[in-house]
Amino acid sequence: MNNSIEVNGLKKYYGDLKAVDGIDFSVKEGSIFGMLGPNGAGKTTTIETLIGLKENDGGKVSILGYNPFKESELKEIRKKIGVQLQSPALFPRLTVKEIVSLFASFYPDSLKSETVIEQVGLINKENSQVISLSGGQRHRLAVALAMVSNGEVIFLDEPTTGLDPQARRQLWEVIENLKNNGVTVFLTTHYMDEAEKLCDDLVIIDKGEIIAKGSPDELIDKNFDKKEIENVNVRQASLEDVFLKLTGREIRE
Amino acid sequence: MKIFRHMFIANLKEFIRDKSALFWFLAFPVIFIFIFGMVYSGNGEQVFDIGIVQNFENDFSSQISDSLESVPNFDIHYGNEKEERSALSNGNRSMVIVIPEINLAQIKEGEATNIRLLYDSSNQQSSQILISVIKQIFNEIERKITGRPQLFNINTESIQADNLSSFDFNYILPGILAMALMQLGLFGGLQFLSLREQGIIRGLGVTPLPRVTLLGSEILIRVIMALVQTFVIIFIGMTIFDLKITGNFLYIIALVILGALTFISLGYMIISFASSPESGERMIQVVQFPMMFLSGIFFPITIMPDYIKPVIKAIPLTYLGDALRQTMVGVVPEYTMKTNILVLLSWLIVTLFITIKFWRWD
Repeated sequence: MNNSIEVNGLKKYYGDLKAVDGIDFSVKEGSIFGMLGPNGAGKTTTIETLIGLKENDGGKVSILGYNPFKESELKEIRKKIGVQLQSPALFPRLTVKEIVSLFASFYPDSLKSETVIEQVGLINKENSQVISLSGGQRHRLAVALAMVSNGEVIFLDEPTTGLDPQARRQLWEVIENLKNNGVTVFLTTHYMDEAEKLCDDLVIIDKGEIIAKGSPDELIDKNFDKKEIENVNVRQASLEDVFLKLTGREIRE
Repeated sequence: MKIFRHMFIANLKEFIRDKSALFWFLAFPVIFIFIFGMVYSGNGEQVFDIGIVQNFENDFSSQISDSLESVPNFDIHYGNEKEERSALSNGNRSMVIVIPEINLAQIKEGEATNIRLLYDSSNQQSSQILISVIKQIFNEIERKITGRPQLFNINTESIQADNLSSFDFNYILPGILAMALMQLGLFGGLQFLSLREQGIIRGLGVTPLPRVTLLGSEILIRVIMALVQTFVIIFIGMTIFDLKITGNFLYIIALVILGALTFISLGYMIISFASSPESGERMIQVVQFPMMFLSGIFFPITIMPDYIKPVIKAIPLTYLGDALRQTMVGVVPEYTMKTNILVLLSWLIVTLFITIKFWRWD
């Protein structure tokens, strides 16, 4: 299986701050890849550098075989990916339908806007202006804007932050659906249950460095022993425990 | 092109649905028109209340009454001297004419009759005019009585509409249009700052949309809005306030587009140096208000003190105002049309150059 994304020794510095300090990972085509980490660990910087919003200070990146640090190749990448940023780009007075159609017009091979709006559960809000949507609805709209690109890779930066449990689970279904359609998903999150449920592979990043890699199961098995109780294998730990063990318990920013 | 069309339509909807923007661009200039229109509509229609004290009745008295009553701007009141004097001191009369009894015997002997004019000394200017008008009327009456031939005929002809040099509503209206264009243009910068603050510029940056497409559609909408403003302002001026457009409409449209582009470019240049929408708004205001009052769009530049003239000569609104005034209503120009267009073009090119140099998408 090919890798949709390959990252080797990627670095991004802000003055003295090493926001991303030499990370390596690859994302398999058609998989859901998660990047976990506390606030300020470098997740958003990584995404923004990968999609060419920021220049790198070292390292190589390949997205679908293209180099995002070359202007001409970046143009090709933009046609083939969908991106949901943490601050969604929403014109306040356009309706849901208008804004999804607008984004659809940017891409050569976009999905039908109605389909996408339905998938993110905003069909009964399609004629409402963005200004009247709740925070959770805006979030789902932002995900819809990434999806309508019909991109081969979809980047989702903390797609479920601030959503209530129902909306989160609905969005999980949407993400799993993307995978079923052969789309590669790169997502960042700090919800462990989300990563555990969705991700095929993940990395945990802290202070700009990757401190753990693997599938959720591998990570749990590697960091916590199994206990045998009456021949039944019971894990004593969840991915959340792995995360806290590795990144510490103090509150970040 | 397909993307541009979609972006343009989306931007247009965003613009039209923003009620506060519509207020600034359409209602605000219209309110200005009504305010100035009302102030100036009183001009030329002034009526003078004239009191006449005349305690006799014969051919002469009726001749005097008829002559005075035939003056269109005179409202004639009759009374005794005491009543009329108190009306004058109350401000209800502009002038009181006291006429002693005149009889034929007196006239035949060639004896002069003293006619007294009482007027309010606090209103010197209009009193002087009234005095000469009334003198003229009595000369005329005298001529009729004595039968002297009239040797000079003075024919008056108003050429105001064709060559306005005085200051009135026709002077103001092109100024209001210039002000509206300035606002529309400068606010373009603020609109971009708000898109940037909301992360919309950044979010569109990750799509295949070329970001200049976004800006291009923004500018096109502003130019179209400028033409809408022009239409609304001229329409209201013509239908409600008797505005007379003497210029060529194509010429006016070209000037409006040049003016709009100049101020859009100026707005973008200013916000290139702003860090937030708030600081951008303050910077725009710092530019906007002095321009509004120093450019001569509301009162002629000639009445302003000399030390401020270098500023007046530097600001683009001065030239847009002058260009629109001479083109639309034929006001005597302050500058030649060539100067006006050259100065506006220079502003457009220089601000565009600085904008491109210091522009920040993020």
